[in-house]
Amino acid sequence: MRENIKLSRRGFIKATGAACTAVLMAGALPGFLKPVMAAEEQIDIKDALKKLFGDKKIETGHVDLDVPIIAENGAVVPVTVTSDLPMAAGDYVKNIYVFSEGNLNPFVAKVGLTSANGKAEIATRIKMRKTSNVRAVVETSKGNLYQNMKEVKVTVGGCGG
Amino acid sequence: MAEIGKIMIKVPGAIKKGDVIPVKAMVVHPMETGQRKDSKTQNLIPEHYINDVKVYYGSDMVTSMEWGIAVSTNPFITFYLKADKAAPLKMVFKDNKGASFEQTVQVNPQ
Repeated sequence: MRENIKLSRRGFIKATGAACTAVLMAGALPGFLKPVMAAEEQIDIKDALKKLFGDKKIETGHVDLDVPIIAENGAVVPVTVTSDLPMAAGDYVKNIYVFSEGNLNPFVAKVGLTSANGKAEIATRIKMRKTSNVRAVVETSKGNLYQNMKEVKVTVGGCGG
Repeated sequence: MAEIGKIMIKVPGAIKKGDVIPVKAMVVHPMETGQRKDSKTQNLIPEHYINDVKVYYGSDMVTSMEWGIAVSTNPFITFYLKADKAAPLKMVFKDNKGASFEQTVQVNPQ
């Protein structure tokens, strides 16, 4: 009986200790990783790409990505995507995708083009939660995929806060 | 946010027929991510963002976009257009709460 109490006491202390650590960590984390919410999960870029393109191979080349090396404000990061691929009636850039890999959901935008655009170039401003790659994927009307990526260092994240 | 949905579209003034011209558009919109907290109540501000953009040149839809929450507040977009006819260029923005905003400019190549 006595032994049981001892054990449970030890168990209790162990459990409390673990719980305290967990609480402390949970309490401390949001400070560092703001604005990560416990309920939200980071979608991996690989999963995001797989969901959109399946197992299709994404080649490099034909995509020029213009982003700043350092973005002081993650809420407004300028991004320009250009492709030298043709914009003819039967062979054109059909979609340009922009991803910010460090965002909880890496998908930023999909721009669907037609040959009437005459040029495969878009520019916009995006939000980045933290330092990560910006990735652009270009999909042609024939179904070929091309990509480019560049790291942007983010001083102040721009999704929550 | 009284101006929410206000759209500005800029196309070059002097255009020759067949020119590929830049179209620059900005729309006033909060683009709430759903990850931001109200500083007073500490409650999350619900998502409120433009998720659908369509561009019509005359009667043809030339460009369509899907946006997520990570397009910056007051979204800004540049794309190109082959100005091969005199026709209105209409942009329609829709947000996740069902609101729709549109603006038209005239493209008049010489």
